[in-house]
Amino acid sequence: MKKPVFIIIFLLGLIITLSIVKAVAYNRLSTSGVFVGKVEEEINFYKTQNAILSEELLASSSLMNVAAKAVKLGFTSEKSSLMVLKTSQPLAVKR
Amino acid sequence: MKWRYPFVFITLVIFFLLIIARLFYWQVVKAEMLSELAQSQYSGIIKILPKRGEIKTSDGFPIVANKVSYQLFINPTEIKDKSKTVGILSSLLDMTEASVSAQLLPDRLWVSVKSGITALKKEEIEKIKLPGVGFEEHYKRFYPEASTAAHLVGFVGKNESGQDKGYVGLEGFYDRLLKGKEGYAVELHDALGRPILSKRSGNTGGSDGGSLLLSTDRSVQFLVEQKLKDGIEKYGALGGMVGIMAPNTGDIIAMVSFPSFDPSKYWDFDESLFKNPFITNTYEPGSTLKPIVMASALDAGLITPQTKCNICGGPVRVSDYDLHTWNDKYYKDTNMIEVIQHSDNTGMVFVALKLGADRMISYLTKFGIGALTNIDLEGETAPSFKPRDAWYDVDLATTGFGQGISITPIELLTAFSALANGGKIMQPRVVTAFENSNGEVLKIQTKVKGAPISEKTAKIMTEILVNAVEKGEAQWTRIKGYRIAGKTGTASIPVKGHYDPNSTIVSFIGYAPVDKPRFVMLVILEKPTSSIYAAETAAPLFFDIAKNLLSYYGIPPSE
Repeated sequence: MKKPVFIIIFLLGLIITLSIVKAVAYNRLSTSGVFVGKVEEEINFYKTQNAILSEELLASSSLMNVAAKAVKLGFTSEKSSLMVLKTSQPLAVKR
Repeated sequence: MKWRYPFVFITLVIFFLLIIARLFYWQVVKAEMLSELAQSQYSGIIKILPKRGEIKTSDGFPIVANKVSYQLFINPTEIKDKSKTVGILSSLLDMTEASVSAQLLPDRLWVSVKSGITALKKEEIEKIKLPGVGFEEHYKRFYPEASTAAHLVGFVGKNESGQDKGYVGLEGFYDRLLKGKEGYAVELHDALGRPILSKRSGNTGGSDGGSLLLSTDRSVQFLVEQKLKDGIEKYGALGGMVGIMAPNTGDIIAMVSFPSFDPSKYWDFDESLFKNPFITNTYEPGSTLKPIVMASALDAGLITPQTKCNICGGPVRVSDYDLHTWNDKYYKDTNMIEVIQHSDNTGMVFVALKLGADRMISYLTKFGIGALTNIDLEGETAPSFKPRDAWYDVDLATTGFGQGISITPIELLTAFSALANGGKIMQPRVVTAFENSNGEVLKIQTKVKGAPISEKTAKIMTEILVNAVEKGEAQWTRIKGYRIAGKTGTASIPVKGHYDPNSTIVSFIGYAPVDKPRFVMLVILEKPTSSIYAAETAAPLFFDIAKNLLSYYGIPPSE
């Protein structure tokens, strides 16, 4: 007769313990929403910063930008110096 | 006294029955409605907008990407000092005070004031801490190379319901793949509206758009744009276009046309500029079609390079029409090599008449003329041939030298690639691979479109075209040391039933190096004013670009 009583007490104890664990877990999880909100905000902030930096990187590494800077620094493409004159060039021009 | 007990008992029973009935009403009859009401109080559906995919050139650089932009909105009920808010916003947003003020109607809770605000400007406004002013984040198209390849990539506008939609070019052709799929997420909040971690569903049914990896070489595209711009200016042309293809794969290395538009400000441009003329404009190809007709006759065994033209001593009369050469010079008993070298119209009439209408139509069809090339760009057109019954002798004769037949530049480029690729035509394509939002890459296999001529014919025709470059009217501009196959084309423009004598469409098509061609290129200039001849306009531009390409690919001279 002692065995069933022990089992019942054990099961009751287990139920009460699990209920307490559940209550604690739910309590902790429900309040962590604030933390999650902050983390999400931070993730979004970094995502935005990442997108802005990517944009700057792409703009800086574009050929348009590189070519414009090269011209500013004095790099110009080679131009042919060959000239085709259809009429003879005057030796002197009267002003 | 006895009645009191039953009375209290019955009263309590009735009272409890009423409670049970009420509970039944709320918990059973109205359960669904209450559940929905509760859910709407503590949960919200968040629409997750997908990020549009990028378009990357062959070096992996995104020529079309996304950038963060903000929409400024105002809640007029929260504004404390209206005139101050209006004054600050109008100066920072470069708007008039009247236009800002007009939107701040007190009966509204949310008013959009301006969109497309940069992150920098947003920070500047946020620092002032104006009450009732907020921002909403969006992604919009960003073009690091500005309007480079505008006709190729197209642009993103809005559809009837105000959603992003790709138009023309790649944005139009691959719109469904690029735009991705909208997703939804359910988020539960606590009494203060804060999100609860354990009760958030993931993004259901949504995904970001896939990216496109192009065959287009960014450096070549950039180079060709600069060269074409200079060429149009130098030769006083109305416009121009250049297409470069890898003949062994059908990959489009570069495709440029001017006048063009800026995809980031497409609304500032006329709609007619959105079409990519390289795949939509039809023109009479003139002499650039001669190699195709000549290759057809060679392949059919009707002529050999040494065949002599017995009608080339003067103008040829066909169905009451006298057909002349472009410079009215005639070469009696000229052979087929010289016909191409001199771009001899009478010689091509000889070839066309030998070929006959049926074989001409059959070969041109095999070369893909008169049908869409099915390039992966939106808006391609292709004029079809007139019915066989409507082909008269004069039509056959003029087709021999590329007049009286209309084609698109992409059709000609694709057809010509057969000569450079051992007689095989590859399916032209711009996209070589797709990349999904998880980074998985799916490569697209190259496809043989057809083989209109044999490898032997292609080799013979190549030698004839090399001779044309080295001894033809454009020899002065050729690149010494390199064997390049090519042909000039000066086409008249049909206007109201006759040809305009003062304006032409000049072109040059060719490939190099002939032993193992890396590229086939077509250069077209519309109505140049410095000269109406291709040898003096399109040809030097072709060789200028070709010289740069040979150097870019590290191909040494062969001679």
